[in-house]
Amino acid sequence: MSRPYESRVAWQNRMLLVPALVLLACFILIPAGAAVYISFTNDALTGFAAAHPQFVGLKNYARLFSDDGFWNSLVVTFFFVFGSSIVGQFVLGLASAVALRQPISFRPVFNAAILLPNAVPEVVASFIWISMLAGGKYSTLSRIVGLFGIPSQNWLESVPLLMIIVVNTWRGIAFAMILMTSGLSAVPAEVYEAARMDGATPRQIFWRITLPLLQPTIFLYMLVSTAGTIAIFGLIYTLTRGGPGGATEIIGIYIYNQSFTAYQLGYGSAVAVIMLGVSVALGAIYVRVLKVQV
Amino acid sequence: MIGLHKFTRAQAIAYGFLTVTVVFCLLPFLWVVLASVDPNASLFLSIPKGITADHFIKIFTAQKGARWFLNSLVTVGAATALVVIVGGMGGYALSRTNAWWKRPFLYAIILVRVVPPTALIVPLYKVMLFANGVMGALVRSIVPPDHVRSTMHIFGFVDGYFGLILVLSAMQLPLALWIIKTFFDLTPKEYEEAALMDGANVFQRIHRILVPLALPGLGAAGLLAFIGAWGDFLMPLTFISSPDLQLLPIGLFRAFQRANILDYGYLSALALLYMLPAVVAFGLARRFLVQTFTGGIKG
Repeated sequence: MSRPYESRVAWQNRMLLVPALVLLACFILIPAGAAVYISFTNDALTGFAAAHPQFVGLKNYARLFSDDGFWNSLVVTFFFVFGSSIVGQFVLGLASAVALRQPISFRPVFNAAILLPNAVPEVVASFIWISMLAGGKYSTLSRIVGLFGIPSQNWLESVPLLMIIVVNTWRGIAFAMILMTSGLSAVPAEVYEAARMDGATPRQIFWRITLPLLQPTIFLYMLVSTAGTIAIFGLIYTLTRGGPGGATEIIGIYIYNQSFTAYQLGYGSAVAVIMLGVSVALGAIYVRVLKVQV
Repeated sequence: MIGLHKFTRAQAIAYGFLTVTVVFCLLPFLWVVLASVDPNASLFLSIPKGITADHFIKIFTAQKGARWFLNSLVTVGAATALVVIVGGMGGYALSRTNAWWKRPFLYAIILVRVVPPTALIVPLYKVMLFANGVMGALVRSIVPPDHVRSTMHIFGFVDGYFGLILVLSAMQLPLALWIIKTFFDLTPKEYEEAALMDGANVFQRIHRILVPLALPGLGAAGLLAFIGAWGDFLMPLTFISSPDLQLLPIGLFRAFQRANILDYGYLSALALLYMLPAVVAFGLARRFLVQTFTGGIKG
């Protein structure tokens, strides 16, 4: 191929990327930069500050440290991520993946049923869970646990954080299961056979072989799932709006409430910058440690 | 010899565990399915005393449900098409280029993918407000005054579809770029070069060679973009305020917030209608899911 052809192709490639670049720049990169800028101002949604935002330096960040609402949202976010993605989804997803590798019938049925909660939109998920959880003694959950003598209650008010953890676990088992299945299928069958020949029990096989060999997959899952769980908004907003009393106010909900309910755009942006930092750090670890091939 | 099949202990445990898990996964759906056909549906699970299709009929006749559904279909459909086109062009370029910016660009895509939309929502609102002002001035200079409002509903950035479509597309674009790039990596360059030798121009090469070869990739990217945008709640919540422009998720959410005039049968039917396209798309996209979740590490 001649030189002009190559330079034309290079030019063509750059042109083909322009529309994608414009979209990403306008709606993701510039806003991300603007978040940093706004976080140094006293910008507001209404009132005097909305028309004349002032530069206030690090004031918003200083305020973060003494703001109970912010620390509360960090703690809630931690428990939410830990409870639903690190424990709930992971344990149930891994167990489902292992169970589905047994020679059993109805495998597609089991598979589809576990995938279904992941396929429905967030609003539908919270709509159907309200029927499970709200309404005291009439709710489905109250009626079920009533059989075991546990008193009925308004679950989203008595144990709200636990309930959003349960709902998010329900929604995300499929994600863990799919990843773990792909990880398990990469383990050669001979490894298991050899272990069985040597007289290993199923329990030994799981702890000594399956789990160690799954380690890269598990690490990948933890990273992707943590980043995804921190970003959740609609599911919690539609279930509790972060209430009661901030009990389910994960950081994304806190940003939204500060910005659009309390109208404090500058302060909300300072929280957003912290959240951006954490997420990008997770992404950077992902790229570095897993040596993504590009 | 049915019934005499002997289970191993591992199989028995597997069946037991999977049954419990499946009950947990499906139980919440029981209410919405029953309520959608129950003439006396309430918020609580009960066996219907009769079966009716009224709730579904009502979506298309009496209430705003059909309008919301159509609004969602138009905006999400347009966003999906845009993602496939823009992502197709960009993904092709990313696959074929060897320029110095290729690696940084791909790493940047991964980082962009982990940015939570909630962290961007305030500055995004400002960007949209600014763009809306520009567009408003443009529209006012072209369109007669009494048509400005309706034109802005289509071309506006705040409370208008054009802006919403662009934002929804931008959010789905990184994944689409990644998937399509991976697919083009697997399609041999030789076909293109052969077509080039035969004198095919750029458009012929795209139409005859590239699109047919990349169809699975474009399809997967389109399905996943559709699922993401269809389920999105934050963007329509923030950027659409007129009741007539409302998308299905917000309409549904607002309707079940108004506790005093709740029609649970109707809302259940609407919820089922809303989840149907997502579930179908999810089923079709299933074999691409590992890629989605991991950002292409197994690509």
